[in-house]
Amino acid sequence: MNKKNRPAAAQQANEIRVDVLPHAKDLRWPMTWYFLTGKLYSLLPWKKTAWTCAGFPVELLLGLDIFPLHPENMATVAAAQKQSQRLIEHAEGMGYSRDLCSYCKTNIGAVDLEVSLKEGGIARPDIITCTNTICDTHWKWFQIQAEKLDVPIFVFDCPKIVSGTDERTIEGYITYMVEQFYSFFEFVKEHTGREPNIGKMVKAAEQSEQLSALWREIFEYRKCVPAPYSMAETSASFFPMVVMPGVKSGIRFFQKIRDDIKARAAQGRGTLSGGREQYRLMFEGIPFWYRMRFMYDLARYGAVVVYEPYTFSFAPDKPVGLSYTETLRHVAKIMMDRPYSYNLEKRIAYFKQVIEEYRIDGVILHENLSCRPSSTGMIDLKNTLQQECGIPVLIINCDMNDPRVFSEAQMKTRIESFLEIMEDHRNT
Amino acid sequence: MMKTIAYFEASHDMPEEVLSAAGFVPRKIFGNVHASNDPADQYLQPFFCPAARSALTEALSLSGQWEGIVIAQGCNATNRHYDVWKRHVKTPFLHWFNTPLKNDEPAVRFMKTELWRLIDAINRHFGIVVTDDMLARANHESNAIKKQLQVFSGLRAKKDIANREYLEILMKTMILPRAEALTEIQAAVDGLKNRGPFPKDKKKVLLTGSDVTYPELMDLFDEAGLRVVRDDLSVGERYFSTLIPETGDPLEALARHYLSTPRPATKLGMRDRIRYLETAVAASGLKAVISQNLKFCEPFAYDAVLVNEALKARGCSVLHAEREYTPQADNQLLNRLAAFTEMVESS
Repeated sequence: MNKKNRPAAAQQANEIRVDVLPHAKDLRWPMTWYFLTGKLYSLLPWKKTAWTCAGFPVELLLGLDIFPLHPENMATVAAAQKQSQRLIEHAEGMGYSRDLCSYCKTNIGAVDLEVSLKEGGIARPDIITCTNTICDTHWKWFQIQAEKLDVPIFVFDCPKIVSGTDERTIEGYITYMVEQFYSFFEFVKEHTGREPNIGKMVKAAEQSEQLSALWREIFEYRKCVPAPYSMAETSASFFPMVVMPGVKSGIRFFQKIRDDIKARAAQGRGTLSGGREQYRLMFEGIPFWYRMRFMYDLARYGAVVVYEPYTFSFAPDKPVGLSYTETLRHVAKIMMDRPYSYNLEKRIAYFKQVIEEYRIDGVILHENLSCRPSSTGMIDLKNTLQQECGIPVLIINCDMNDPRVFSEAQMKTRIESFLEIMEDHRNT
Repeated sequence: MMKTIAYFEASHDMPEEVLSAAGFVPRKIFGNVHASNDPADQYLQPFFCPAARSALTEALSLSGQWEGIVIAQGCNATNRHYDVWKRHVKTPFLHWFNTPLKNDEPAVRFMKTELWRLIDAINRHFGIVVTDDMLARANHESNAIKKQLQVFSGLRAKKDIANREYLEILMKTMILPRAEALTEIQAAVDGLKNRGPFPKDKKKVLLTGSDVTYPELMDLFDEAGLRVVRDDLSVGERYFSTLIPETGDPLEALARHYLSTPRPATKLGMRDRIRYLETAVAASGLKAVISQNLKFCEPFAYDAVLVNEALKARGCSVLHAEREYTPQADNQLLNRLAAFTEMVESS
């Protein structure tokens, strides 16, 4: 890109930065709580822990007084600490193919090498539980680790709501899911002695909904122009929703950042310094955990990711005040049908609505070598959005946890070209 | 001429008996390794399973000859690709069959619901009524084919049956009208009566891993001096090793049958899969196993490490290889296979 043709915002590179929220650093409190409590539960013999995955209703575990440990989350910790590559390579040395999920291999490497919590390590759980709702990898990975660690495993088989599935069929799917809840409770009782405590479960669900509602409120503020909050910060701050949705310290943190965002929005201030928001972007997929600076680099061009389905996916409406049976059916539906795993028809409709509501100028689709399910349909998604919404869409081929796939120079060239296209598009 | 309904599956997940009971020829979509994947690659990225991309290519080209298509859940290539097929493959009837991941009692009940849903969709779309009697006949017909395949397969360790020959007869039974398939396999079994004994210069192996859907790879094993006498593939023993119960409710029988076939890597139950393999090597006195993984075939790649470790612990020599989706002779793979043959000979 020659200087003359560079977008105006790009010429101001190095001058624009992300203004981090005043309370962003308070994330350390829920994180500390989570890690210390997890450590405690792992050490005390009468306490129980479970490995679980994204897409699993953690509130169920809290209602059973079982503390959830998240191998995926710890894999992202390893990446942020620049440890994922060595752990992945160790797993590949054990025989796991280069083409397999980098989260999985990070965890396999971390467990085999017994690395510390700070480097992405994780304690041996009492039980392992997961679903196949997001990907096959979840249950394949957890099955391997259950076998290696000799820990009992329960997998929820979530039927697939493919494009065009009618409501009657979905109701049948829900019935199958609900049957599995009862099997799950039996499994938990057999292996931990725990039985569902409806009171605890309701409390966890209520607090979880409070947390989700706060996140949805934060997303509402992101509709403002300029956007007061971006993916540069949400990629870290959404942590409480993933690992501790039914816990108060997460709610307190979300309330603080919500208030920061609200104040910023009231003042008409954006997340970029000097209010120099030039391009409003939507980012689909998991971020590059080993290279979180990517989002801050976008800011240098005046580009802000104002919406990402990935973090929003953790904040669905959760049932409060329903009967026990109704609650289970509702949870079952949420497990099968969340933004991150929407079928193609629903995904296209969802994206179109977001593009309109959030005044999106361009979409970046992360074609993730570690996540073939989420990458499927991206070509159709791109073509449809370009044709029907009239905005540029960029597919970038990369990986969420394996830094060997990330090429600094290639990424920069692609992003700059994309910004140039957006600029041209704006001027025509 | 009988009309065809084609199906796409990741393993042996599609209850083809329902299609034959409804009067259609059930035809498994294998893909064509000799054809370029360019048509499918307009919609699917090159780092997706090449066999699944080839299946889409085949459907894009042949769907006009079929009355419909059923896609059965196996791995993420089936449920996620369904949406892409729905947009681009022209067919008057496209049905999603959600085979469960598990095989416990809730899964059996769910499988029955899915079978009813498939039958109902066929009845409504084609204006027919599939009865229990029709299903029972289809189950019986299917068992007749499976029994002949069991005989053919059992002779692999005794007669001189090329690896290619076994795969080709299996693939034929999965695309021909049922009666023709039975005639073919009966003729093939009869043809083995005067066949020579198992060749002395070949080593007996068990083949596991991703499905093999083209004979050129089987030729490569023969060329390296290896003869596959047991396997746990879906285009293999998984297809015929168990029979459909012929008493009681035929739909219930189908549901239970499909959830009791040897477990593939696409279904929950790695321990069961290992047990099947251990039993197979023990029953056949085998000491050599080829574990192969098609590039980007994730479920089998995840299983391979622990499955192979278990077989090694049983005293088997195991060669694990990742392969491309190509009919071309892979000389690197051939060298590894030949070295493996030598190793097996010397041990």
